Amino acid sequence: MFFKKNHNIINSVGHILNPGDQICFIIPEYMNKNIVEKGTKKQKEHAWKNLILTEQLRGRRLVTGLMSSMFSVSNKLDRTIFDAGNTENLPGTLVRREGEKPKGGKTVSEAYDYSGSTYNFYKDIFERNSIDTRGMKLDSTVHYGEDYNNAFWNGTQMVYGDGDGEIFQRFTKSIDVIGHELTHGVTQYEAALEYEGQPGALNESFSDVFGSLVKQYALKQKADKADWLIGAGLFTNKIKGVALRSMKEPGSAYNDPTIGKDPQPGHMKNYVNTSSDNGGVHINSGIPNRAFYLAAIELGGYAWERAGRIWYISLTERLRERSNFQKSANITYEVAGTLYGKSSHEQNAVKKAWDQVGIKVKAMK
Amino acid sequence: MRIRVERSGGLAGIPISNEIDGKDLPSGLTRTAKKIMEDKSVPSLSIKLSPRGAADHYTYKISIQDGRNQRVIECNQYNIEDDLKSLVNYIERNSKRRTN
Repeated sequence: MFFKKNHNIINSVGHILNPGDQICFIIPEYMNKNIVEKGTKKQKEHAWKNLILTEQLRGRRLVTGLMSSMFSVSNKLDRTIFDAGNTENLPGTLVRREGEKPKGGKTVSEAYDYSGSTYNFYKDIFERNSIDTRGMKLDSTVHYGEDYNNAFWNGTQMVYGDGDGEIFQRFTKSIDVIGHELTHGVTQYEAALEYEGQPGALNESFSDVFGSLVKQYALKQKADKADWLIGAGLFTNKIKGVALRSMKEPGSAYNDPTIGKDPQPGHMKNYVNTSSDNGGVHINSGIPNRAFYLAAIELGGYAWERAGRIWYISLTERLRERSNFQKSANITYEVAGTLYGKSSHEQNAVKKAWDQVGIKVKAMK
Repeated sequence: MRIRVERSGGLAGIPISNEIDGKDLPSGLTRTAKKIMEDKSVPSLSIKLSPRGAADHYTYKISIQDGRNQRVIECNQYNIEDDLKSLVNYIERNSKRRTN
């Protein structure tokens, strides 16, 4: 893009920008950033518009970061736990703030402690400052709904049901489930994988991967000692099953007359085409889950050190909203090469792992 | 009248289907079901509309069959209409059948 007095501004793809937008680009980017942070309301609006236009040409990451910078930045863990009182009203009644002594019972303590474990995992291993990299508060609501058999991330906070006591117990019980939900927040601020089909299954898989790593890090477990289960212990003893999912052997987590058999495939030949569950996001995630497990086992040691780093960099730096399994394979392979060298043990392990789930890595140009 | 509720999604991703005969519904909910059947302002397809970044939420496919008329509504926990939610909650709690 260039600017000439009394001439139109033409962007890099040859489009003439309208006059209002043209003025925007006279101001350098660093100045716009300062104005967004320190200017008057009108100045901020104008600078903001400039930056958005710039980003439309160059990508979205700067704007995402600046949007966060308009709000306060904290370098400290900041948890708040609310109680919905078995209603579906969010966030509910405040029960415990950061730094307060335990109160509100076991469920509140689990939500508080395990969200802290997740925050510390991301901080210690990847130097990440909370969900959004800007110290976002970690809000959780427990005792959501009546006999509620679910936990979810609603785009701003985590929500946990108590379970019905027939199929499920309380969802705060499992540290990897809390890591899973918080990682949906990380994905939201990074690759923003759309919640449908293969991108959705990748979104789910990254939550399982980092949920499992949060648990392994808390237990200081090496890859070969980990259970690689998601939600172990959530089922009541009336259900024949060990967990919601197995990353090691997708499809083997449960087999029960009431809830059926774990439908997860661990190979592309068994990929499930379905319109339910947003296109099978919790079903086909078994394929990339197993790829991560295989890479981590091949590399040995602590899974967060190498396999985890490759997956984290891929999620935060390379993947995009509509990335599919093939793209994810290609990118993790490329990131492994960048981090550890071409044809390194790490890069070969990633290639082999994807190959074993039926995806041939294609080197990108 | 027969009403079938298929719920999918959630953290566990375990699909559950429940079906009920209209005569087993309380009269208030029968009226609700008939109203939903005819109320075109209730969108038929809002399943993909959810808050940015949201995950692990429930999605619903609700099929109402009344004689030769049928209505299918696909939505999720964020945009399910209040009346429909009451109907779904009742069916999920009171029908015996759970399938995959």
